[in-house]
Amino acid sequence: MAEPIKIRPVNRGKRPHFFDDPAIDQLFAIVMAMSAELSVLWDRVDTTERLLDQKGTLSRADIEAFRPDEKVHTERTERRNAYIDRIFRIIREERDSLVAHDKMTEYRELMDDLSKN
Amino acid sequence: MPFQAKHDFLVESSHDELSRQNYVQRLRMHILNQIGGGMRAVYDKRVKPQFEKSQGRAPKDEYEVHVAMLSDNYGQVWSTMMRSCQEMVWDSVIPAVERAQPKLNERIRGLNARYGTLTLDPSVKVPRYVSATDIHLMPGNYHTERTADDASQGALYDRGRFVYNGGAAGPYADAIPRTIATYIRRKWPDFKPAQALELGCTIGSSTIPFVDGFPECEVHAADVAAPVVRYGHARAEALGKRVHFHQMNAESLKFADGTFDLVYSIIMFHETSTKAYRNILKECHRVLRPGGLMIHMELPPVGDMDPFEAFYLDWDAYYNNEPYYLKYTHEDIRACVTNAGFGNDKFFQVLIPDLARSPQAFEAVVGGEVIKKTQVARVGESAKWFTYGAWK
Repeated sequence: MAEPIKIRPVNRGKRPHFFDDPAIDQLFAIVMAMSAELSVLWDRVDTTERLLDQKGTLSRADIEAFRPDEKVHTERTERRNAYIDRIFRIIREERDSLVAHDKMTEYRELMDDLSKN
Repeated sequence: MPFQAKHDFLVESSHDELSRQNYVQRLRMHILNQIGGGMRAVYDKRVKPQFEKSQGRAPKDEYEVHVAMLSDNYGQVWSTMMRSCQEMVWDSVIPAVERAQPKLNERIRGLNARYGTLTLDPSVKVPRYVSATDIHLMPGNYHTERTADDASQGALYDRGRFVYNGGAAGPYADAIPRTIATYIRRKWPDFKPAQALELGCTIGSSTIPFVDGFPECEVHAADVAAPVVRYGHARAEALGKRVHFHQMNAESLKFADGTFDLVYSIIMFHETSTKAYRNILKECHRVLRPGGLMIHMELPPVGDMDPFEAFYLDWDAYYNNEPYYLKYTHEDIRACVTNAGFGNDKFFQVLIPDLARSPQAFEAVVGGEVIKKTQVARVGESAKWFTYGAWK
């Protein structure tokens, strides 16, 4: 049997950076990778809890063998979406601020309207 | 989102790997829809007014929008996240593929084919547009062989692409070819191809819908990259589908003139080159019988888009290793098709709504309704497929 292979980029080229300081791009990559690892850990805890609920005891092999069914997958997808929304809140808020500016104008109009004599 | 359909050669991911892949799917969708969804507002309310203030005019083309958007903090954040997430897609799948080797190669080598065939040709030279860059940042691209009879790039592509598109193309990742095959059948019910050829077939997930759609038809599929056709052959056999795979360059097909009634490709041309695009169209014309149909699904031309939309669509050309993408989306496709020998009056183009996601809109287009405006979206976000071709 042949040796296991290692899959590495062959011709990916120089990695682009989008910020003036490439360290910021690297930091984004690190934060995103960490967010993934925390989500993986969360799923592992979820698997553990589900197996304990079902069986009252568990082994490492039980956890490794666990695969989410449609229902569990959907629950985890919802949790992941909410989690991503919390982790990357600051970016969403910047997006929303561009809309909120207009909303503020409307709000001032509302204030004026409701404060009329 | 559905689970990926299992078959005997799909790599098995561990508990944690599967969890990581599922997370990367969601993260990618968040970046596309939530963060990407703010890009237009950032342009309209911040970047464009600033540009107008400093230059005294609006940005005149997508290149000026590009520079301006990537000078904005939001454009930088979105871009760096898009890039990182694309890398994470492959990283999330690689350990499972590495582990599946070398057993996977051995099983594929020892495959006892019951339905279709595999014809490899070691004399096929991998063209520069495939060998020079890892397209979509996929490590090793379609063609890299790390050991004898290696099919691992096929395995990587199969699982990685599913993570990439978040399952949006269905459990077999074949929403587009299924839509196109059904469109042909419904639009031209008297057209009964006896022989069909797909170009740039990779792992054959875009071939099988044509086997299903035209059960009387002998379906061939060609790709320059040996690992993907090896894997595609094994995958098709595992799914019980009759496909004849060939390692072949679409620019110089080994088939005789007038062999096929139908020649098609699904989102292939933008990964080739200016020269190859023209050569392949000529080959399509050559291998078609008179009365045969050539049809291609591809990125929509950016010609009629506003500069922001063109910038947004063309971002991948720069940062997702798709070097011909930008030139391709600016090609005059009608001119290229007619220059390849097809009659100008035989050319057609149509925007086809996805069969599974928008069945009613699909039916309307089959019935002749024309969708004028191209929705700005990458493949996987949009649910309308730009398709064009010609009758010989």
